[in-house]
Amino acid sequence: MTPLAAIPDGLLLSVTVFWPLAVVVGLLVLEFFSSPRLSDRIWRAAAFAASLVGFGLTLEVWARFDPTVGGMQLVQRTSWIEGYGINYYLGIDGISLFLVVLTGFLLPIVLLACWNDVVKRTKQFVFFMLALQTGMLGAFVSLNLFLFYVFWEVMLIPMYFLIGIWGGPRRIYATIKFFIYTMVGSLLMLVGIIVLVYMHRAEFNVLTLDYIGFAGAPGIADTTVRMSGDVWWKTQTWLFAAFALAFAIKVPMFPFHTWLPDAHVEAPTPASAILAGILLKLGTYGFVRFALPLFPAAALEYAPVMITLAVIGIVYGACVAMVQGDVKKLVAYSSVSHLGFVMLGLFAFNLTGIEGSLLQMVNHGISTGALFILVGMIYERRHTREISDFGGIAHVMPVFATFFLITTMSSIGLPALNGFVGEFLILVGVFEHYPWAAVCATSGVILGAVYMLWMVRRVFFGPIVHEANRKLLDLSLREKLVASALVVPMIWIGVYPSTFLRPMDASVRTLLATIEARGGETGSRLALVQALPEEPPVPEALPESGEPAQLDRLDRLDEESGE
Amino acid sequence: MMPNLDLSAISPMIFVAVGAILLPLLEVLLARMIERRRSWLGRTVNREMASTAIVIFTVLLLVLALLRTVGTFDLPVAHFNLDHPMIAVDQLTRFLNAVLLISAILTVLVSSRYLADIGMDHGEFYALLLASLLGMMLLGAATDLIMLFLALELMSIPIYALAGFQRSSLKSNESALKYFIIGSFASALLLYGCALLYGATGTVELAEIARGFDPENPLTLLGAALVLVGFAFKIASVPFHQWAPDVYEGAPTTVTGFMATAVKVAAFGALIRVVAVGLQPGAEIMYGVFWWLAVLSMTVGNVMAIIQQNTKRMLAYSSVAHGGYMLVGICVGTQSGYAGLLFYLLVYTFMTIGAFTVLAILTRDGREVSRIDDLAGLHETHPFAAIVMTLCMFSLAGIPPLAGFWGKWYLLTGAVERATAIGDTSLIVLAVVLVMNSAISLAYYLRLPVVMYMREARGADRPDATAGALQTTVLWVCALAIVLIGVVPGDFLILFGDYDLIASARVAASAVSP
Repeated sequence: MTPLAAIPDGLLLSVTVFWPLAVVVGLLVLEFFSSPRLSDRIWRAAAFAASLVGFGLTLEVWARFDPTVGGMQLVQRTSWIEGYGINYYLGIDGISLFLVVLTGFLLPIVLLACWNDVVKRTKQFVFFMLALQTGMLGAFVSLNLFLFYVFWEVMLIPMYFLIGIWGGPRRIYATIKFFIYTMVGSLLMLVGIIVLVYMHRAEFNVLTLDYIGFAGAPGIADTTVRMSGDVWWKTQTWLFAAFALAFAIKVPMFPFHTWLPDAHVEAPTPASAILAGILLKLGTYGFVRFALPLFPAAALEYAPVMITLAVIGIVYGACVAMVQGDVKKLVAYSSVSHLGFVMLGLFAFNLTGIEGSLLQMVNHGISTGALFILVGMIYERRHTREISDFGGIAHVMPVFATFFLITTMSSIGLPALNGFVGEFLILVGVFEHYPWAAVCATSGVILGAVYMLWMVRRVFFGPIVHEANRKLLDLSLREKLVASALVVPMIWIGVYPSTFLRPMDASVRTLLATIEARGGETGSRLALVQALPEEPPVPEALPESGEPAQLDRLDRLDEESGE
Repeated sequence: MMPNLDLSAISPMIFVAVGAILLPLLEVLLARMIERRRSWLGRTVNREMASTAIVIFTVLLLVLALLRTVGTFDLPVAHFNLDHPMIAVDQLTRFLNAVLLISAILTVLVSSRYLADIGMDHGEFYALLLASLLGMMLLGAATDLIMLFLALELMSIPIYALAGFQRSSLKSNESALKYFIIGSFASALLLYGCALLYGATGTVELAEIARGFDPENPLTLLGAALVLVGFAFKIASVPFHQWAPDVYEGAPTTVTGFMATAVKVAAFGALIRVVAVGLQPGAEIMYGVFWWLAVLSMTVGNVMAIIQQNTKRMLAYSSVAHGGYMLVGICVGTQSGYAGLLFYLLVYTFMTIGAFTVLAILTRDGREVSRIDDLAGLHETHPFAAIVMTLCMFSLAGIPPLAGFWGKWYLLTGAVERATAIGDTSLIVLAVVLVMNSAISLAYYLRLPVVMYMREARGADRPDATAGALQTTVLWVCALAIVLIGVVPGDFLILFGDYDLIASARVAASAVSP
C-alpha cells in the first residue's frame, strides 16, 4: 500500500494534473516568506522530488485502470461556469492512459538530465517546467472541450518562455514562430468547437461543452454532423478541416512542420525533450480523440489526402534529416518523419493501425526524448552539435556511445526494441487499405536507418580528428542513471508490448465502433469501415492469463525477423 | 409646478459632479493656506499632503459612487425627470457606470505619483477627470439626442485638456490640439446627423425615432450614417482612427490609459443604446456597415501595431483592433452579442489600465520609457511590473485562462449562436476574422515579454522603476482581476456578494435588446 492509494478515484486525475502546479506555487509562497531566499539547489531538488511523486501518481492511475472497460474511467466532473455548459470534467481511457504515464515518466528524467546544465534563472526554469507538466497532463485527460482548449493553450506559455529564455542564438525568432503557428490552428478549432456547441444545442436543446456526455446525457460527441445538405460551415468537411489544421500543425504534418526544426534546435535540451516527447503527441492525440470520432465521414473521405501528406512527411523528413550537419536538427527532422508514421496508422482506421500509432506515440516520446537528452549531454561537454566536430567519440566515451547506439536502434526500429513494434503494426494496418502508402512508408524506415547510422558512424567511430574530443569525460553516475532509465522501457516495449497494447484494446474498439456508427449515419464511404475484418472479442481476463490474438501476430513477426 | 425629479436615480453622477466642482476650490484653498502659513493647518500641511488629500477625496467620492452604482444594480429602471426622460438609469447605465468608475479610480490612483514624476501635480487634473467622467456616465444613460450630444461634449472637452496636461511637452500639446480638432469635427458630424434625424422623424427621443424611422427616406439614412461616423471617430474605428496613435502617444500616460478605456466604454455604451433602440429599424442596413468597420478595425489595427516601435503607439493600434473586436458584438445585435461586448469592455479596462500603469511607473523625471526596447530586462529591475505587463499582454492576446480570453469567448459564442440560429455565413466569417486577428496580434503582444524576459538590460538604459504604494495597488488589482475573471468569471467578487459578471452583463444587455 502506498500513500497514493488513499486518494479517492474521483480525485486521482485532478491530483495528478495539478500536483506539479501546486508544488511550484508552494515553492513560490515559501520563496516569498523565507529569508534568506531559497537556494537554486532547493528548488531543483524539490522539483525533482515532486516530479518523482508525479510519476508515482501516473503509475497509480495505471494501476487503477481497468483494461476491460472501453469508456472513460476515473471520471471527475463538477460545474465550472454555471449555465454555459463549461464543466471541470476529467477522465481517462486506454487512448490517453499511456500518454499520461509517459508524461509523468519523462519529467523526472529530464529534470535529472539537466541538473547542472541550467544555471541561469533556475527558479524560473523550474516554474515553467512544472507548469508545463500540468498543462500537458490536463490536455490529455480533459473531457470538456472548453477545458481541453484551455489546457491546450496554456501549455504554450511555459514552452514559449523555456525556448525564449534558455534557448540558443535564434531563440526569439523560434519561440514566436512556435507560438503563432500553434495559435493560428487552434483558434480556428475554437470557432469549430463553438459551432459544434450550438449545433448540439439545436439538436438536443442543452448547452454543453462536455465532449462525452456525463451519466447518459448527450455530449458534443453525439451531435449529428452531416457531410452535405447543411450550410457549408456546419458540414463535416469544414469542421474536420478546422480541427485537423490545429492538430496537424501541432503534430506537425508535412506542410505545417517548419516551426519544428527551429523550435527544436533553439530550445534548451530539457525543452526539446519535452517538446518532442510529449507536446507533439497532443496533435496526434487530438486526431484520435476528437477529429476522427467527431467527423468520421470527412476523415474517411480525406484519408487519402492525409495519408499522402503523412507519406510525404515520412520521406521528406528522412531526406532532409540525411543532409543535416547539426545533430539536433537531424533528430528534429527525424521527428517529422516518425510522426508521419503515427498519422499513417491513425488514418488506417483499423485496430492494428490505431494501436500501432498509439504505441508509436509512446515510443517516439521515449526514443526521441532520449536522443535529445543524449545530444544535450555531449553538447554540454563540447558546446557544439556539428557532426563534423566529432568523430571517434566511442573511444573516449564508450558508455555514452553504447547508450546512444541503443537509442538509435530504437529510433530506427530494430526488432526487439520499441520502435519496431509500433512501426510494424502501423505498416500492417495501413497495408490493409492503402498498400501503396505502406510501400512508400517502408522506404522511410530504410532512409531512417541510413541517416541515423550514418550520423552515428561519423560521430562515434573512425579516428579522433579533433584534439578537443580526446579529453572528453564519459558519463557521470547521474547521466548513466538517466540513460538507463530511458533504455528500460525501450527494451520492455520491444520485447513484451502486450503490457501496453492490451489496455488500449477496449478503448480502441469503442473508438472504431463510434467511427463506424457515426460514419454510417452520414452514409459516406461506409464500405471502408465495414470491410474491417471481424476482430476477436475483447479478452475478459487480464493479459497475463489470456492468449491475445495481437500477441500471436507479434510473435510470428519476431520469428520472421529472427530468420 | 414642481418638476417630478428623482435625485436618488442619479446619485452616483451627483457624487462625481460634486467632486468636479469642489476639487478646484479645495485645491485653491489648500494652496493658499500653504502659501500664507497663517493658521495652524497652514503651517503643518505641505504640498505633498495637500495633493494626497485631494487624491483621497477624489477616490472617496468615486468609491462611494461605485458602491452606490453596484448596490442599486438590480433595481428597476429609474428616470431623473419622468416628464422629460432624457436619461434612463437602467441596468445598462449602471453596468457602464461601474466600469467607468473602476477605470477612473484606477487612473486616479496611478496618477498622483505619475503627475509628481512629470512635475505636473496640480489638482485640476482630478477636476477635469471627474468632469469628463460625468460626461461619460451621462453618455451611456442618454435616451435623447440632445442629452447624447451634451454628454459627448462634456466627456470630450476635459479630455482634450487632459491630453495636453503636460504643458511643457511639445508632444502633449500636439496631442491635445489634434484630438481637439478631430474630436470637434466628429462632434459636428454627429450633431449634424442628430439634426437630420430630428428633421426626418420630428423627435429627439431615441424610442420615438425608432417609431418614425423610415429606411426608405434618404434623410433618415444620412442622419443615421452621420451619427455612426461620429461614434466611429470616438471609438477610433478604421477608417476613422488616424488620430489615435498620435494622441495616445503624446498624452500623459495615465490619461492615455483613461482615454483608451473610459472613452471607449462610454462611446460603446451609447452606441449600443443608439443602435439597439433608436436605429433599430435600420439594423439590416447598418449590419453591413458595422461588419466592414469591425473587419477593417481588427485587421488594420493589428497589422499596424506590429510595426510600431513605440509602446504607446503600439497600444493605440491595439486599442483600435480591440474596438474592432467589440464591434463584432454590435454586428451580432442580440442580447448575447451586447452582453459579450459589455463584458469585453470590463476586462479590456483592467488589461489596458494595467499595461499603461506599468508604463506610468517606469516614467522617471519626465523621461518616458517610450520605445519597446527600453523595457529590456524589466524582469530584473521590477519583477512585479514585468509579471503584470506579461499578464496584460497575454490577456489582450486572448490566451486562456486569462480574462481577455473570456471576452473573446463571449463575443465568439454570441456571433456563432446567432449565425447558427439564422444560418448566416457572414457572421461565421466575422468570427474567423476575429480569431485570425488574435493570432496576428500575438506578433506584437509577444514582443513585450520577449523584451522584458529574454533580453538583457542595457547598462545605464535599464528601466528604473520604483512604484508608489498606490501604483503597486493598482498593479495588484489589475493582475488579480485578469487572473480571477479568467479562472472564475462566474463567481468573481464573491467576497463582495454574489456578483456573476457574465450574468450581470446579460442583464445589462437585456435592458436594450429587442
